[in-house]
Formats: sequence, structure tokens, C-alpha cells
Amino acid sequence: MKSLQIHAALVVVALAVLAHRADAYPQYQVGRDVTCTGCHVSPAGGGALNENGIAVAETTAWRGGDGSFMYGWKTPSWLALDGDMRGAAGYVNPGVSTAAAYPMQAEVGAIVKAGAGFSIRAVGGLRSPQDGGSIAHVLWSREHYVMWQQNPDSSEGFYVRAGRFMPTFGLRLAEHIVYTQRFGGDPLYFEAYGLNASYISKAFEVHATGFVHDPIATVAEHGDGGALYAEARIGEHAAIGIEGKHSVSDETTMSYGGMTGKVYLPGPDLQFQAEGEVIRKDITAGAGDIAIQLAGYLMASKPLDHGLMLDIGVGHFTQDTRVKGLYRDAIDANLHWFMTSHVEWLLTTRIELLDGAGGPNGGYALAQLHYRL
Amino acid sequence: MRSFSFLLIAALGAGCGTSPDERPVSFEFVTLGILAPTCGQVQCHSTTTKTAGYAFDTLAASREALTTLTDDRSADSSKLIEVMTASGGSRMPPDSPLNEEDITLVKLWIDDGRMGL
Repeated sequence: MKSLQIHAALVVVALAVLAHRADAYPQYQVGRDVTCTGCHVSPAGGGALNENGIAVAETTAWRGGDGSFMYGWKTPSWLALDGDMRGAAGYVNPGVSTAAAYPMQAEVGAIVKAGAGFSIRAVGGLRSPQDGGSIAHVLWSREHYVMWQQNPDSSEGFYVRAGRFMPTFGLRLAEHIVYTQRFGGDPLYFEAYGLNASYISKAFEVHATGFVHDPIATVAEHGDGGALYAEARIGEHAAIGIEGKHSVSDETTMSYGGMTGKVYLPGPDLQFQAEGEVIRKDITAGAGDIAIQLAGYLMASKPLDHGLMLDIGVGHFTQDTRVKGLYRDAIDANLHWFMTSHVEWLLTTRIELLDGAGGPNGGYALAQLHYRL
Repeated sequence: MRSFSFLLIAALGAGCGTSPDERPVSFEFVTLGILAPTCGQVQCHSTTTKTAGYAFDTLAASREALTTLTDDRSADSSKLIEVMTASGGSRMPPDSPLNEEDITLVKLWIDDGRMGL
């Protein structure tokens, strides 16, 4: 029984630490002079690749090959299919060392083009099973929405989405364990039902979303509210953004405000991305309490030869500004290897220091395999 | 970008608070301020996943879990504190340690009679 509990704990660790969404790689954005929609179908980035995104996957990888769905499966012109699978193995340390291996994500998606700029997007897959739950509980649809695109043949212009998706907010890195995402209003499975309007151009982009929590498949977002993200290019190789989000549930009112910045240095081929947030956490249940939190992240990315890319990141999270020492810092190093246009290996490592290293320390070193159908 | 850098540096340098821990010692704070953002993540002890049968992401679910996992006589004999401070593979949360200040506050709440539970 004890070994079963330990095994279950390992699976949970894995899912908690690693369960990525199939997100974009914003590392490419400023350095390659593209928008998220330059490679992805969604105006928020992440998920299904468009024609150019597939071409980029082919040219970026060490051994590119045919990057299209299932290496060239023919589908009708009105239908596009995609899918992602991920698994990982390695070592985690929340104060004690543990080895683990586990599945992470298995999702398939479809886009139906309905004409006049309208399309329907749906993603279905597996999620962490509830202890004692039925198999039906494991199956779900993280995203499903109707989208209207002003210029279906271009990556720029107006987009409107209605349905279930992640409100567009912040840097939207693939690594959801980054503090600005985990604690900063954009953690794993924060999809909600909403209406989103986006305008995207190479000079600037604006995303506004109103959302309500999912009343059926209650997940991470328990509140209703809105999110705003706006980003403008400064010169050829830099961008600055502002972000805001407000969410009200029966028990808490969360307000997030912050900035993002991106700078690309062409000489060394380095891209820097940073995000800083101030968070107001208002516990409205019981006697109530208001805490101010701070979250920040800075990441440098360097493409290397043979389909490799290195990220070095540092993060900070102050859990409550009223309490001295109640914070944590992280140093991350991620080595991506885009082996083919469908296969990515990722070695991801973190050292986490609590209370300025005066408290317990943690960390992990994990190898992840990501296979795109 | 420069102003952003200042913000980030300020955040990284923040020891921030200067006062002793004056956070509320209440069931609502223990749940929503400490357990929900750490143990109660959606992949773990949430109402969605309910690993090991426990959830901490809502007050209702947390009340049920803490009634079982805490001992009204002593924090030291509570299962919750035992797993938070374990020195073996059963330590929780398994992905990232809790701050000592949070463990101390949870202990205090239990020893004070689990107010609000």
C-alpha cells in the first residue's frame, strides 16, 4: 500500500511539475520578426501550427523531414488535424530526492474551416485521473471555440474567439512552472469560457478577453473576469507589453498587473524575455485578508547548431510582502533539441532557493520527449 | 525595457516584508493563502483531480480534507504536518518545498484549535 502511495505521488509530481501545454516558443518572436500567428492558428499562439509554422518546424530541426500532420496525411482543404504527446523522466527534489518516469500529455485537435473567415477549433485528450474516478473523467476537451479571422490568408488583422480557451495574458511561455505563470494568473489548465478579441500586426498586438469559469469541468480557474494584454514593437528587435487580469470567485478576488519586455541581440543571436507582475490577492471568505505578491522572470535564449536551443532563466516570487523572507527564487536551464520537425527533446533543470537560501531548497532535472503528430 | 528591468531587479531583491508574520491564523487563510496555491493545484489536490481523495482548492473541499488530516489536539500528531515535514519520499508538496513560515502558520492554526474548521 505504501509503495502504491509513493508511486501515485510520483505520478502527481510529474504532472504537477511538467504537464506542459503544447505552447508556442516565444523565443522565436522578436528575433525572427514574426507574430505568434506567424506560426500558430490561435491568435494567442500555442497549439496547432499553420502552414508557415510547419515550414519553420522543418527548417529549425536537426533533421527536419515532412512536418505536416502524420508526415503528409491528406485531409480535405476545410479540415486540419494536429496532436501532441509528451512524456518525461528524471529526478525531482522538494527537500528529498526522488526519481520518476511518467506520461504527461496526449491530445489531438481539429480545425474545421467554415468559410468567410470562420473556423471551429477543438482539442480533446487526457488529463490527470481523479483518484477513484471513472475513465470518462480522464477524457476532456481543454479547448473548443469558434473563431472569426478578418484575413484568413494573413497572420495579421482582427481575430474574435468564443468558447473555451486560455485568456490571453503575459508572456505565455511553454514552461508553466515559471513563477509568473504558476502564481501570476496563467497556470496550467486555466482555460475558461470566454469571448476574446485580438488585433495582431507586426507593429503591435492587443488581446482583450472576458471569461467565466467552466461550470461543468471545474478546473483551475474558479473565477469570472477579464484579461488584457497589449504589446508594441520598439524598433526592429524589441517589444514592450502591459498586462492586466481580474478574476472574482466566491472565495477570492485576484488582480494581476504587470509588464513584459523582449529584446533581441542580433550579434550573439540572443533573445531576452522578461515579465514582472504585482498581484493583489483578496481573500473575501471569512474574516478576509489582502496580500500583495510579486512575481518576476527573466529568460535568455540562444539558438545553437543542430536544432539545439538553450534557455537560461531566473525567477522570483514574493508570496506576501508583509512577511519578511517569504519568497522563493529559481534558476532554470533548459536545453531543447528539435531533432525532427515532429520530435523535440528537452532537458529541463531548476534550482529553487527559499527564503534567500535560508530555507529548504528544491529542484529538478528532467528529460522530456515531445512528439507532435 | 529599462523600467521593466528596475521592476524585475526590485522583485528579485525583495525580502520585502519587515514585520513578523501577522497573517491571519484562520481556516480561510490556511486554505486559500497557503494550501490552494501549492497543494491544491489542478493536477494534484484539486476538486478536479482529488489525488488520494483530498482537495484544497476550495473551502468546502479543504474543510473535508483538513478534518481528516489534522488532529485537534496537536499539530505534531497531524498527518498534514507529518507529510509537509517528512524526510523521505512521502514529503509534500512533492514538486517544490513549502516555506518554513507557511508550515509554522499551519501548525499554529492547528494548535490554536483549528479555527473556522
